[in-house]
Amino acid sequence: MNYSSSFTYVFDNFDKLLQGLWITLQLTIAANIIGIVFGFLLSLLAISKFRLIRWPAQLYIEFFRCTPVLLQVIWFFYCLPIIFDIYLDPVPMGVLALGLNLMAFNAEAYRSGVQAIPREQLDACVALSLNPFQKNLYVILPQAFRIALPVLITNGISILQQSSLVAIVSVADLMYEGKLLATDSYRPFETYSIVALIYLAMALPIGQMVSWIERRQERTLHS
Amino acid sequence: MTVIEKSSPVQARSTILSIKNVSKCFSENLIVMDNFSLQMQEGECISIIGPSGSGKSTLLRVLMGLDTIDAGEIDFQKRLYIKGALDPRKRTLDELARRKVGMVFQHYTLFPHLSILSNLILAPVKVLKKSKSEAKEHGMRLLERFGLESKANQYPSQLSGGQKQRVAIARALMLEPKLLLLDEITSALDPEMVEEVQKVILQLAEQKMSMIVVTHDMQVAKSVASRVVFCANGKVVEQGRPDEIFKTPKEARTQEFLSKFLLNS
Repeated sequence: MNYSSSFTYVFDNFDKLLQGLWITLQLTIAANIIGIVFGFLLSLLAISKFRLIRWPAQLYIEFFRCTPVLLQVIWFFYCLPIIFDIYLDPVPMGVLALGLNLMAFNAEAYRSGVQAIPREQLDACVALSLNPFQKNLYVILPQAFRIALPVLITNGISILQQSSLVAIVSVADLMYEGKLLATDSYRPFETYSIVALIYLAMALPIGQMVSWIERRQERTLHS
Repeated sequence: MTVIEKSSPVQARSTILSIKNVSKCFSENLIVMDNFSLQMQEGECISIIGPSGSGKSTLLRVLMGLDTIDAGEIDFQKRLYIKGALDPRKRTLDELARRKVGMVFQHYTLFPHLSILSNLILAPVKVLKKSKSEAKEHGMRLLERFGLESKANQYPSQLSGGQKQRVAIARALMLEPKLLLLDEITSALDPEMVEEVQKVILQLAEQKMSMIVVTHDMQVAKSVASRVVFCANGKVVEQGRPDEIFKTPKEARTQEFLSKFLLNS
């Protein structure tokens, strides 16, 4: 290989990448808030005893799980304005596309968490006169959240990675800035390597957190 | 029924619970309560014994509002509490009356993510809208009474089965129930732990807490109850004072059931 690599151009324009990283983090965090909050509500709908509530929720989950994220992102950017006459800025649009996708995956994680709670505990809620809202908020959610947490974090990391797909619809995230830089500098190898390292640096500590949480749960939650 | 009315020392007290002709089936072939009737006086501790499938646990679930009934009525404190019907829309349950009924389950059902004290105060704070400090004070008093005050800030996973079950009883008492239902609460416990839970039940019985204890531990049934009710096939077969039922059962079905236990023990 007689390619002589030079990172000067990349480092000179590192602030561009940081700007992109900031957008990427915004997308990831906002999508995760949507996914974590509404994913739980969606999971409750998906296990409702009423078919008319359960079926649409399950359809939603399957739709987002069984179509490519790239397609979902593109569909949102091109079809939402056409069908619903909604014109959002690229970043909110990206948040919406990624958040709705994450909701579906998180709902599945929550569902297994909810179903792992012994039935007798739900009876105990009735015996303690807790209404369904109190039961869900104080008894089911905290436990389902703990059980689902490792999967929720894993899903969150994968949204960090998949957020790079919004670059294709001109959201100026890390991937997008990296692409610009690579084209401008004719240094794709250096640029994309650095971009990859930035994604890695973001995701790795969070991944470590998952195994730490799992170890902690092993110790405390078993009763 | 006449047995009780004749010899009952609690005649002066008022009726707290009146179960009238209650029927329930899970399917056409599975009748769990068959025209079931039972009267209970305030301050009584009734233990219900009988073979599995005799409808004892179902009775408690019905009284707690966890299961519905197909026919019959249940009065609680002399007012209609539950009305059964085949058509779910015609069934009724008095929610406010239900708050005065408490239940403890076989598998403790403490909430594992909450500390012992938090388990106790959850319902009083959220349901009765008591202040946290008031509820905590009440909770600590109960824990002290059951010798568990040192466990207040621990989590259920750190407690033994017997301790968990005593906490579960304390949690049910936090809502100051007028009727306490205990469903097989000693059957998941080691023998020595049975004793500590049994002591708590006795303590409550002495304080004239109205209780229904469903159990297949005859020792528990005998020691805590003021009246023993033997059920089979969803009906009351025989009832009376513990010594009557255990020493001189009248019905053949009761004799047969108890003889199995005597052989086993």
